[in-house]
Amino acid sequence: MTADASDLSLVQRVQRGDKGAFDVLVLKYQHKVVKLVMRYVRNPAEAEDIAQDAFIKAYRALPQFRGDSAFYTWLYRIAINTAKNAVVARDRNPVDFDLDMTNNEESYEMQGRLKDSETPEALVLTDEIRTTVNAAIANLPDDLRTAIVLRELEGLSYEEIAATMDCPVGTVRSRIFRAREAIDGRLREVFEGGLGRAEEIG
Amino acid sequence: MSNEELESQLSAMFDDELPASECELLARRLARDEQLRARWGRYAAIGACLRGEHGVRLESPLASRVSAAIKQEPTPSASPLQASPGRGFMTPWMTSLGGVATAAAVAAVAILWMRSESPPQIAQLTPAANPAAHAPAVVAAPATEVANATVPTAVAATARPRQPREPDSYVVPAATTPGPVLMAPTELANYIVAHSEYSGPLMRRNALSALVGGDSPAPQLTAQPIPAVVTGK
Repeated sequence: MTADASDLSLVQRVQRGDKGAFDVLVLKYQHKVVKLVMRYVRNPAEAEDIAQDAFIKAYRALPQFRGDSAFYTWLYRIAINTAKNAVVARDRNPVDFDLDMTNNEESYEMQGRLKDSETPEALVLTDEIRTTVNAAIANLPDDLRTAIVLRELEGLSYEEIAATMDCPVGTVRSRIFRAREAIDGRLREVFEGGLGRAEEIG
Repeated sequence: MSNEELESQLSAMFDDELPASECELLARRLARDEQLRARWGRYAAIGACLRGEHGVRLESPLASRVSAAIKQEPTPSASPLQASPGRGFMTPWMTSLGGVATAAAVAAVAILWMRSESPPQIAQLTPAANPAAHAPAVVAAPATEVANATVPTAVAATARPRQPREPDSYVVPAATTPGPVLMAPTELANYIVAHSEYSGPLMRRNALSALVGGDSPAPQLTAQPIPAVVTGK
């Protein structure tokens, strides 16, 4: 098995012109990239904007990606450079945050940004997702919970998890899949049902 | 393939634990199947939640914003990663060689152009090219004067006076102090450059360094060819 094979197969599809494959990569890494950018900027909305820029830059640079390193390592460097540049640019040209200015286009944009990402609804939805996932994990059988935690929290490979849990690699794969399915079953209701679903299904 | 098997593959692919051959097929399907992609996105949210990535929105419009922006972008035009094995190894070499070749070509064109800009000066100083121009000047000088002359005087006698509009030499910087002493190395340097294509780079550099540095190979270099020209006539 080739390391990073799944990312490489998606990257190859993007290089052949399949933009949908890039959406898949964004879905996979968006949280990690935003978390990374938040080391440089505290504001989550600003971090998302920078992450968006980083993904677009990565897309434009993808024809030059040769696969010498893992895709995420490459993306990581782009995100860090984008964040550093954004911080330097912001420090050079500090924006006036006076939201009382009604004729200033920039103030409208800033208000829109705040409205878009820091509304109580957005924060509550994120809290609901966390609550749902934590509750679902707590309800998992021990072997499934251990497998998914070792994978997601500790970052172990299937082989390492198999050695830790003293079971075949195929069993690890099956356990992680079943754990995800159980959590996803609850999570899907929150994503599709909107606010308040966590309390109903909890 | 059953749905469960497909979703199991999806989970393994998300963890980068699916064989490359299966990744190919699933990547194609994933790029087109909205529901499968939504499930993939929720897998990512589960991971972020488990890792306790606080401050990160788990239901963020970031992916859809990037997707909308990408749709406006032109399609990448590179060939796929595995289209040519070893390409990653060769490319830096090819790039370096290309850069060196370009730099060499530019340098060669620049040198040829500069040489073509000052043909009269070089031709004037090349005995083989124009012996008649040098012979009378030497003949006009008394034999005792030739024998006893200091090098600068002898060379000054053979040197053509500089015209006001004549371009400066590209080999030696413009003289900072006027006088016959500095004229000799300049003219000699031009002479050497005129014949540079027949000498190796190391020899050429040594000769020029000696001239610029004020060493005195000049007497031998200038005094020898002049009598030969005279006697030849």
